[in-house]
Amino acid sequence: MIRGVRARLTATIVFLVVLTATVLGLASYVFVDARLHQQTLDEARDQARFDLSVLAPQILGEQPTPASFAELTAAFHFRTLKSIIVPVGGLPISDPSSLQGTLDSIPTSVRQFVDGGQIAYSWQTVDGVPSLIVGGRAGGTGPEIYLIHDVSALQQALDQLRLALGVGALILAIVAVVAARLVARGVLAPVDEASRAAERIAGGDLSARVPVTSTDEFGQWAARFNRMADSLEDTILRLEAAQTQNRRFVADVAHELRTPVAALVAEASVLGAHLDALPFEARRTGELVVHDIGRLRFLVEDLMELSRFDAAGEEVRLQAIDLGRLIRDVAAARLRDAVLELPDDRVVVETDPRRLERIVGNLLDNAREHAPGALVVVRLRSTVDEVRIAVLDRGPGVPPDRLGRIFERFFMADPSRRGGSGLGLAIAAEHAALLGGRLRARNRDEGGLEIELVLPVTQPLPDGDAAAISRGDAENR
Amino acid sequence: MDARILLVEDDPSIREVTAIGLGSAGFAVTTAVDGVEGLERFRADPFDLILLDIMLPRLDGYEVTRQIRRTSTVPVVMLTARGDTMDVVVGLEAGADDYVRKPFDLPELIARIRAALRRAGTTADDVEELRIGNLVIDVAGRSVTRDGADVPLTRTEFDLLEELVRHAGQVLSRDVLLDRVWGYDYLGDSRLVDVAIQRLRSKVETDSTNPELIQTVRGAGYKAVR
Repeated sequence: MIRGVRARLTATIVFLVVLTATVLGLASYVFVDARLHQQTLDEARDQARFDLSVLAPQILGEQPTPASFAELTAAFHFRTLKSIIVPVGGLPISDPSSLQGTLDSIPTSVRQFVDGGQIAYSWQTVDGVPSLIVGGRAGGTGPEIYLIHDVSALQQALDQLRLALGVGALILAIVAVVAARLVARGVLAPVDEASRAAERIAGGDLSARVPVTSTDEFGQWAARFNRMADSLEDTILRLEAAQTQNRRFVADVAHELRTPVAALVAEASVLGAHLDALPFEARRTGELVVHDIGRLRFLVEDLMELSRFDAAGEEVRLQAIDLGRLIRDVAAARLRDAVLELPDDRVVVETDPRRLERIVGNLLDNAREHAPGALVVVRLRSTVDEVRIAVLDRGPGVPPDRLGRIFERFFMADPSRRGGSGLGLAIAAEHAALLGGRLRARNRDEGGLEIELVLPVTQPLPDGDAAAISRGDAENR
Repeated sequence: MDARILLVEDDPSIREVTAIGLGSAGFAVTTAVDGVEGLERFRADPFDLILLDIMLPRLDGYEVTRQIRRTSTVPVVMLTARGDTMDVVVGLEAGADDYVRKPFDLPELIARIRAALRRAGTTADDVEELRIGNLVIDVAGRSVTRDGADVPLTRTEFDLLEELVRHAGQVLSRDVLLDRVWGYDYLGDSRLVDVAIQRLRSKVETDSTNPELIQTVRGAGYKAVR
């Protein structure tokens, strides 16, 4: 858009400059052209008057003879004038003789004026030379005399003027383009600055501001832009502080709960071993206590895990992992009934097995809670640059408008359902991000939810001998 | 005779219920509330295993482990809380044999304790001697000598060395070692192996930065030279 404004501004300025130059150039050319022609004509006419009324009658006398015609022609020739003399009732005498046909090219109106005893003229090209022909009759009634003036000098002067004006206009146009661009840039510089500042703010640099360099409209505008940025920065920093505080509070709570929960878990496991010795009511209550302590334990552990992500103190420990084996192991531990769709070939990638286990385990837990008792499929696919592990269930799915939120903390697709902490998918998503991958969810056409982990395979395997290593591992098992 | 366990734990509830649980599992449990008391008890009586919380008042678990290791090869199992700023690696480097994450179920804790005791108590009936480099491993006597001089190893270190030497020339992966030495059947923490190897090298290698007896096979595991 700015580019467009700059171009329009430049074009307008250049157009105005070129228009002015053209009008001025044309006007001065027309003026000079008219003046020069007029001046030449005046001189030629004055000369002709003298020649016709004084010189010609004097040389030709009453009865012109061929000798007197030749003398007159020589007199004209001496003044470098070409001439055509048409004796009354005789043949035209041309000097030089190459002008023989020229008489016919003189406009009839001129011939008629001359015939009537007046002086007449014509601008025309004679023998390829721009010329002025002035005609009249010697002494008013004698032979017609046409004097041909060479005006190529005049024409050359006009040509040079045209060239000079043209070149001048071109230079002016170029200067105008350069100047207009500079002007446009100068005018639009504040817009560029603001654009860059806005881009930096959009990119997360909240401290970006526009320099206020003037008090004009742009200056005021820059000041307002900066006030807006101030308030934006302020608001975002306050929100961030609030979120940090919020997360720290959750982390502190989880941390403080840790020791009592550890005690409760140990106590529950001892209590659980002796439930049979209790009377019925106490036994049932005891079972519930053990069960609920288990839930409390997983909730606190999930909170602790998320708090560690927030503290950004997580390290990723990569090793070569056979994904098929990992999936089989996790499924065996978390959801025995899951159907595994694994490729025939081994898929070995460099990744952090603990995090991957957490992700796959949490996805399986989610599928189990989302669709209790229904068929769950774990599918592994690999391409050259990524591997995909999908967990597909046959549950009710998630309404499309809430699908994007299922990786948020404490989000429950169905708030009435109990079970899970609401943190499992959020934790899985954090682990996926640490592994450089991502989770995505979609409702399956045939019903149910599909959550897919996409992991890029960018890490070159150590020494390129991954397959050999994996085989060695397998033999050792 | 019941195995004697020293439990050092500052939280009264955890201490009491753990003592009850271990007691009913057949262990003789002595408790201490902090590191200083723990060391006093350790010096006063013999124990088969020390169960040691890391975050202890007065003297933390790392320091207690270091002090114990000066005089004893008794198995030390750390109790650590998830999210502790100090890593378990520090505890393992101090000389601990294994660790259990809090919160723990009693059966889980008991399983780890039994695995540690089993290693410590292993006694081969046949008189057997293994050799690697200039080391002589007396399997029955659970002792290692270099040119006749005793090389003191903890029980875990000894088991690790024995396992590697018995399969000399063969690469043993971390998972295999976790299974055979520590008794984890499924995915223990491979750092247990790495730290133990490092401690073992510092005792048996002439130059532990340039190991000749126990070699790392990158991406695969470890092997003892034949």
